[in-house]
Amino acid sequence: MTTPTMAVTVLRAPRAARADLTFGLSVGVLGVMVAAAAFAPLIAPYDPDAVDLAAFYSGPSAAHWLGTDALGRDLLSRTIHGARTALLAPLAVVVISTAVGIVLGLIAGWRGGWLDSVLGRLFDVVFAFPSLLLAILAVALFGKGLVAPVIAMSIAYAPFVARLTRSLVVAERSRPYVAAYRVQGFSPPWIATRRVLPNVTPIVGAQSTLNFGYVLAELAALSFLGLGVQAPAADWGAMINEAQAGILGGHFLPALVPAAAVVLAVVAVNVIGEEYSNRIGGGAPA
Amino acid sequence: MTLLSIDELSLDLHDGTRLLHGVSLEIAAGETVGLVGESGSGKSLTARSVLGLLPPRAATAGSIRVDGREVLGASRRDLLALRRTSASMVFQDPRTSINPARTIGDHLTESLRVCGGWSARDATRRAVELMESVRLPRPDEHLRQYPHELSGGMLQRVMIAGALTGSPRLLICDEPTAALDVTTQAGIVSVLLEQRETRGMGVLFITHDLNLAAAMCDRVVVLSGGRVEERGLAREVFGNPQAAYTKRLVAATPTLAGAPGGDSVGPAVVVERIQGGSDATGRAGSVAGPPGDRRAEAAPVPPQALLDIRGLSKTYRRSGREAVTAVDDVSLRVERGGALGVVGESGSGKSTLARILVGLEAADAGEVVVDGRARTSLPASRAARLAHARSVQMVFQDPYLSLDPRLSVGRAIEDALHLHSHATSRDARARVLRLLDQVGLEERHADARPRTLSGGQRQRVAIARALAIEPDLLVLDEATSALDVSVQAQVLDLVASIRRHRGLTVLFISHDLAVVRRVCEDTVVMHRGRIVEGGSTAAILAAPQHPYTRRLIESVPRPGWDPAAAGAPLEPAGRGQGV
Amino acid sequence: MSALRRVLGKLGGLLLTLFLASLLVFFSRFLVPGDPVSFLLRGRKPSPEAVAAVNAQYGLDLPPWQQYLSWIGGVLHGDFGRSLQYRQDVGAVIGERMPVTLGLVVMAGLMIAIVGLAAGAIAALNRGRVLDRSILIGLTALGAIPSFVGAIVLIAVFAVQLGWFPSFGSGDGGIDTLYHLVLPSTALALVFVVLVGKVTRSSMVDQLGREHVEVATSRGLRRGTVIRRHVFRNSIGPILTVSGLLVAGLLVASSIVESAFGLAGVGSLLVQSVSRLDFPVVQAIVLLIVFAFVAVNAVIDILEPVIDPRAAAGGGAR
Repeated sequence: MTTPTMAVTVLRAPRAARADLTFGLSVGVLGVMVAAAAFAPLIAPYDPDAVDLAAFYSGPSAAHWLGTDALGRDLLSRTIHGARTALLAPLAVVVISTAVGIVLGLIAGWRGGWLDSVLGRLFDVVFAFPSLLLAILAVALFGKGLVAPVIAMSIAYAPFVARLTRSLVVAERSRPYVAAYRVQGFSPPWIATRRVLPNVTPIVGAQSTLNFGYVLAELAALSFLGLGVQAPAADWGAMINEAQAGILGGHFLPALVPAAAVVLAVVAVNVIGEEYSNRIGGGAPA
Repeated sequence: MTLLSIDELSLDLHDGTRLLHGVSLEIAAGETVGLVGESGSGKSLTARSVLGLLPPRAATAGSIRVDGREVLGASRRDLLALRRTSASMVFQDPRTSINPARTIGDHLTESLRVCGGWSARDATRRAVELMESVRLPRPDEHLRQYPHELSGGMLQRVMIAGALTGSPRLLICDEPTAALDVTTQAGIVSVLLEQRETRGMGVLFITHDLNLAAAMCDRVVVLSGGRVEERGLAREVFGNPQAAYTKRLVAATPTLAGAPGGDSVGPAVVVERIQGGSDATGRAGSVAGPPGDRRAEAAPVPPQALLDIRGLSKTYRRSGREAVTAVDDVSLRVERGGALGVVGESGSGKSTLARILVGLEAADAGEVVVDGRARTSLPASRAARLAHARSVQMVFQDPYLSLDPRLSVGRAIEDALHLHSHATSRDARARVLRLLDQVGLEERHADARPRTLSGGQRQRVAIARALAIEPDLLVLDEATSALDVSVQAQVLDLVASIRRHRGLTVLFISHDLAVVRRVCEDTVVMHRGRIVEGGSTAAILAAPQHPYTRRLIESVPRPGWDPAAAGAPLEPAGRGQGV
Repeated sequence: MSALRRVLGKLGGLLLTLFLASLLVFFSRFLVPGDPVSFLLRGRKPSPEAVAAVNAQYGLDLPPWQQYLSWIGGVLHGDFGRSLQYRQDVGAVIGERMPVTLGLVVMAGLMIAIVGLAAGAIAALNRGRVLDRSILIGLTALGAIPSFVGAIVLIAVFAVQLGWFPSFGSGDGGIDTLYHLVLPSTALALVFVVLVGKVTRSSMVDQLGREHVEVATSRGLRRGTVIRRHVFRNSIGPILTVSGLLVAGLLVASSIVESAFGLAGVGSLLVQSVSRLDFPVVQAIVLLIVFAFVAVNAVIDILEPVIDPRAAAGGGAR
C-alpha cells in the first residue's frame, strides 16, 4: 500500500517556510502597491497623462522603464497612478458589503424564524444577479463611472457575507458554550454581539479578504469594457481597453503591464486571504 | 494454531511521531482477545494495521501475520485477498460506516458482485441470509432502504453482516458498541458472540470499556501510549492487575458491583464479590426517607425539598413530523445537599429535563420549584435571568464545546462573577484563583485558552464557572461521558468533594448506571420521557421493579466469571452450543 | 413529505424568486431621478414619434404597477419591447446573437467540466504530495487571471505572436466557428476551471477521509472501485451545487470575452447596449441571465435527492 518515504519527513519543515515566504512576498507586493497608490505623484517619474507623440510605443528604456503607450504616455507612471482606483474602489465595496452582511447575517442567524426566512429569500434574489451584472445594470441606469458600480457591487456582495455570517452564527448558537452563557444569566443580545460575533468575524474577515481580489478583478473588467473608469484616466482596466488595438499590431506592453498589475494584486490578496484563513482555522471553533 | 500474530509492531507517522512501540499479540481460532486502552493508546491503529489500513506514508516495523501470511509489505493483490476472505472489520460508528448515498442491499452485495463476480441474484440471496443470521427483522425490506432509515443498532448489525460476507476467519471489532445505547449494545454483543461460536472465528475486540472487555474476552492486552502494559487471561488481568497503569484503570472504572454510592475516592475493583447492599446510602445523611419508599411520583412533599418538580411535560411539534413528547408528566424531588441521578438512554428525555431546569426551554405543563421559588417559566427580565442563574447552574456534556474558545479560563469565570456581584477586578481575580484551586487547577491555568487544556481540565473549569455563581442546585448533564475513565474518576471525585465541602445539591444526568451509582444516593430511571422507577440507587440496582430498569441493568456488561453476574445475558448463549 | 410536495415547494420558491427578481429589474428604472422619457431617450433626439413609441411601450402615463403588469405580460409572451438602437424587436435582436453565446458557453462548459474535474480529482487522489501541491499552486495562479486578462494574453500569444488561432469574429459556421471559439472559450473557462477544480478536490478529500470509504477498502474492494463507487459518487453533490452557482458568472463573463474577441453574442450586445443607452435591450438581457441562473439552480435543487437520499427525508447535511 503505502511505502514509507523519509524524504517526505525532511520536506516538511521547508514547506512551512515556503508558505511563510509566499505569504511574506504577497504582503510585500500589496504593501508596495498601497504605497504606490498613496504617494503616486511623488513616486511616478512622469505625469501619467503627459502625451509625448514623438515617443509612442517606445520599448523599455532608461527614460521609460516599462515603455510608453500609443500616445507616448509613460506606462510605469500610469500603472502607479492606476493603483489608486484599483485598490480604493474594491476596498470600499469590501468594507460596505462586510459591514452590511455581518449585521444582516447576525440578525438572521441569531433571531431565526420568519425574519431569517424573509432575509434568506432576499439574499436568494440578490444572488440571482451576479455582481458584475448588477454593476452593468447600475451603469445602464446611472451612467458610466465608478460610483454606481461600487454601490451595486456592495449590494451584490453583502448577501455572500450575510450567508456566511448566518451559517457561522447558527453553528455557534447551537454550541453548548452559548447555552452556558444563557444559563449563567447573560442576556441574549449581549451574548450575540459580545461573545458570538467576535468568534465569527475572523472567518468572515478571511472571506472578505478573498472577496477583495474578486471585486478588484471585476471592477477592472468593467473599466476594460469601457463602462467604468473612462479612457484618458490612468486606470488598469481602462489602460488595457485602450491598448487592445495595439496588441494586434504587436505592441503588447501597454496592455500587459496593467494586466500584470491586476494579476499580481489578485494573487497577493488571494494568498494573504488563504493564509489568513488557514491560520485562524486552528484557533476558531469551526 | 495462531490465526493472527502481531510481533513487535512499530508505527511512525511521516513526520516521525512514533505511535506504536513494539506491540505484540496472538489470537487463535475461536478465541476472543481484547485490546483495551484509553484514547490515544494506539488500539485502533493496531487493529487497522492488521488489514493494511495504515495512515498515509506511515512507516512500520515488525510483523503482522494472518493465517501465516505477512501483511506488512504484502503486495496489493495479497492485501485484497486478505481483506476479501481472511479478515474483516466492524467499525465504531455504524452511522458513518455505511455510504449514505447507497442502499443497504448495495452495501452488502457490493464486494460479492464487484470482486467475487457473483450474479446480482445470488449476491442478494446471500445478503438476505446474512441479515437473517444477525437477526435483522425484515431483510427483504432493508435491501432497498438507505442507512438513514435504520437505527444505529440495526446499522451495526448490517455492518456485522457485511463483515461476515467473505466468511473471514478473523473478525476485528473496533469499539463496535461505543456509539450505541447499553441495551442496544447487549444485542450486538450477543450477535457477535453467537457468530464467533458458529463460525469458529478468532475475534480481536477493541474497547475502552473494561467491563465489556471482561464480559467478551478470553484474554486481554492492555495498551497505553502505544505500548503493551499488561497481557493475560481477562480474569487475571482485571481481577489482579500487576502493572501500575492497569491498576489505575481498574480502580477508575465504575461498576455495578462492589461498594456503591458516594465516596469514589477509594479504589473500586471491577471484580468485586459483594453485591451492593443498602448499607451505603447515608453518606452525607442528606436524603430523607428510607430507600424504596420514595417512588418519586407518589411521594408527599416534605417542605425542605430543594428541588421540587411536579407534573413537568414538554412536547416538540414540528410541521410535517410526528409530535415527540420528550418529557411526560415528570415529578421528582431532591433534598438540600442530596444528589439525585437521572438515568436514561438516548431519547429518554433526560437532557430536555435538564434544559427546562436551567431555563433554556419552556415546559408545556407542570412546575419547577427551587428552594421554594418558582423556576418554571423562561426568565425574561434581567432580574429574572440572574435569579434563575443563582438557583440552577449546569455543567454540559462536551468539554470541548462548552467553553468559549476565545476567552481565557480566568476571564470566563470573571465574566460570571462580574455579572452576579459587583466585585472589583482585583477581588474577582482573587476569587477566580480560589475557585480554580477548589477544582484542582492552578494559577497558571487562569490565563490559558480552552484549546490548550485537556478534556478533564476543561470540565473542571466548567465546574468552577458554575460554582462562581454559587447556585442552589448544580445540574451535571452527562458531564463525564466524553472523558476517559481515569479522567472521569478524577472529575467524579471532584464533584464528591465539592458536595462535601459546600453542601451543594446535585442533579446528575447520565446514561451510565455505574457512574450514577458512584455519585448518587438516589436515582430515577427515565424511559421515553417518563420516570419509570425511582428510589435509592442501591435498592434499584439490587431489586429493580420496572421491566425496563431490569433490562437496563441486565444489559450492563460484567465479567463472565463473576458469580454475582450469573445468568446475565452476556454470558453468551452460544457458549454452550457445540463448536 | 412526499417527493411531489418537495418538488412543488421548490417550484414555488423558483417562481417567487423570479417574480422578485423581475420586480427588481423593472423598478430599477424608477431609481433614476427625473423624467422617465428623457431617461429612456438619453442621447437621442426626443422626436415626437420616439416619445410616443416609448410611451406606448412602457405605458408611462399609467401607474407604476400597471406599467409592470403590461411589461411582464409582454415578457411572458416573448415580447421584450423594441430596441431603441436597432429599431427591431428586442427578442429578435437577442435571438440573432444567441447561437454564438451558446456555442461559447457550451464549449467553455465542457472545458471547465473536463479540466476542472480532472485537476481536482488528480489533486485529491495525491493529496499532500508534490503533484497535489503543484496543481493547487497552478490553480491559485490561474484563478488570479481575470477573463479579460486571459483574453488579451491569449490573443497576444496565440493569435498575434504564433498566429495559430484567429483573434476576431466567430467564423463562417461549422468547424470554422469551433476553431474561432477555441481561444474565447479558453479565456472564459480559466477562472471557472479553478473554482470547479478546487471544489472537486476539497469535496473528494472530504470523502476520502470518511469512515465509509475506509470500510469499503477494508472489504477488499480495489482502489479504483472504491474511488468510483464511493468517493466520487458522494462528491458529486457539492460539485454540482457550485457548478450551478457558476452558470450566472459564466453568462456575465461571456460579455467580457465576446467584447475582447469581437464576437457578436448576447454578452457583447449587453455591453454595447449599455454604451449606446439602449435600455430595453439591457433590461431584457439582465432578465434572461437571471432566469437562466434561477432555473438551473432550481433543477439542481430538485435533483438533490437523487444524489443524496437523505435530502428526500428532509434531513441530510452532507
